[in-house]
Amino acid sequence: MIVRFLAVVAAALALAGPAAACAHPRTSLAYLEGQVMCPTCHTTLDQSDSQAAQQIKAFISQKVDACWPANRIESALVANYGQGILAAPSHKGFDLLAWWLPVAGVLGGALVLAVGVWRWSRRREPEDGDGPPGSGLDEETERRLDDVLARFE
Amino acid sequence: MTGRLKLAAQLLALAGVAGLLALLVWKLSHQEHAPPVGSVAPPFTLRRLDGTGKVSLAAYRGRPVVLNFWASWCTPCKSEAAVLERDWTRYRGRGVEFLGVDYHDLAADARRFVSAHALTFTMLQDGSGRVTSIYGISQVPETYVLNRQGRVVAHLAGPITDPSFAGKFRSALAKAAA
Repeated sequence: MIVRFLAVVAAALALAGPAAACAHPRTSLAYLEGQVMCPTCHTTLDQSDSQAAQQIKAFISQKVDACWPANRIESALVANYGQGILAAPSHKGFDLLAWWLPVAGVLGGALVLAVGVWRWSRRREPEDGDGPPGSGLDEETERRLDDVLARFE
Repeated sequence: MTGRLKLAAQLLALAGVAGLLALLVWKLSHQEHAPPVGSVAPPFTLRRLDGTGKVSLAAYRGRPVVLNFWASWCTPCKSEAAVLERDWTRYRGRGVEFLGVDYHDLAADARRFVSAHALTFTMLQDGSGRVTSIYGISQVPETYVLNRQGRVVAHLAGPITDPSFAGKFRSALAKAAA
């Protein structure tokens, strides 16, 4: 009787074990499919259905089911395939350039634009500050023109 | 001052365009192509698939080498595996070495493949595809036959079980081993 009871308990544990392996997954296949590259087709996994991509998807699913976090799965893939398996470069060493160069480019562009606008506005200021725009005539001509106009008033 | 600033900005823009152009030229000129027949096979060092160290192609200089690129997810590689193993057992007595290069594959799956097909020749792992790229491999399986001087005797871009390649493979092996 006891033996039968223990056998039932053992069978229940054996069946329940895999199902309860990860009650709360720490990442998902859908998330990692956008973070990991298909090595043979050079697109992310979510855009590929090649055999190599299917193999990696199966690996990720297995590790998600085993409650592995995303960074641990990514590390395992990097150890196998190299850094190129990740869609985004890492945040250390030379790869940092890929993150900071675009920021530097945008900031540099904004600076050039700001300096340009500032210089342009400074060049226009004297004209704006001295009333109506000049006629383009020299002083002598202006004076003679005023005299002629005065005769008609 | 404005003129000087304008000139500097123009030079900077020109330098940027020149840099991008140089990058394009560099990329185009550094694209990998399959080593042609008669050329020396590119040297490489790779980890053994079973994790017991590294292997260099240079260590096989003086012996004919069959270099087979494969992956566990590749369907034609399964039928080819038995033929390769059979030829390996047939030719190794004549000093021919067979090297399998596992390409863009999970090492655990690759080891299962080797075990399931009872492959006994040396297996190397090229997870990143670096060596595979040097050899201009675009699909698997592909096979190179190298002679004793390390020169390419044949390049078969497809399974050696394919009727169009089977004869070529045998004659290349005979030529390399001669």
